[in-house]
Amino acid sequence: MLSCKEVAERASALIDRELGMFDLLQMRLHLAMCKGCDAFIRQMRTTRDLTAAVPVADDERSDEVDGRITAILAQLHDGKQTGH
Amino acid sequence: MRMNMADETALVAQLATGDRAAFDCVYRKHNASMLRMCEGMIRNRATSEEIVQDTWIAVLKGIGGFEGRSSLAGWIFAILVNKARSRVQRDGRMISFDGEGEDDGLAAAFDGRGRWKDMPDLWETLTPDRIIEGRNIMVHVLAAIDALPTAQRSVLILRGQQDLEPAEVCSILNITEGNMRVLLHRARLSVRKSLDTLLAGKRL
Repeated sequence: MLSCKEVAERASALIDRELGMFDLLQMRLHLAMCKGCDAFIRQMRTTRDLTAAVPVADDERSDEVDGRITAILAQLHDGKQTGH
Repeated sequence: MRMNMADETALVAQLATGDRAAFDCVYRKHNASMLRMCEGMIRNRATSEEIVQDTWIAVLKGIGGFEGRSSLAGWIFAILVNKARSRVQRDGRMISFDGEGEDDGLAAAFDGRGRWKDMPDLWETLTPDRIIEGRNIMVHVLAAIDALPTAQRSVLILRGQQDLEPAEVCSILNITEGNMRVLLHRARLSVRKSLDTLLAGKRL
């Protein structure tokens, strides 16, 4: 029987579907009987989904982003000219 | 986050011709993550911005040599990490992503027999609706990610957000796959703890 600590250690492996059959059965057995660990695994799933879902792209059409892109392209162009 | 191969090949070809729209698309998709990743290594905003800018120039100059052996994102982040490494080495320091000495922050949650001292909550206030409405939750998650130690933060960005393949993440950070999994797990544990504190403190 796994302890709660051991269940917590295997939480990411469980939610990322990386456990072998034996470990998976042991986890399921523990989770069926332990409300605390069941809640913990749910928390870890939510955490995984939230960290993946936070907006990481500059989606807005902002002048600032446009300006930075123009600056990079200009620098690239300068580099090419001096290189030849 | 990951593109299919045909789309990526087309995008790379457009980038190689100097197509501004293509660059615009790739830049917007990755720039913010690159900056967060770089700041995790450098801990200085201005220097990080400089390194990310240098990376973009290197990407555009080198795109003709991109052979598709990794994903485009993987290739871009590899250039970024190499540039950050060189900068840090120039200052006489080293970056290591092995996560040594980075705690998982959960040891104190258990008693001597490995049982919870305090049972975890169900986070019932954190429903999908709330997540969509609650920009403050997202702001909090981002702040929790920014507070992570370098190795955990890097793995979370590359694997958990950019969705790079495990082998790509390991090659960029020069760590083993086992190490990567431990770091991703620890990163989630830290963010979980921070969310738990937020939710326990003020019921939304």
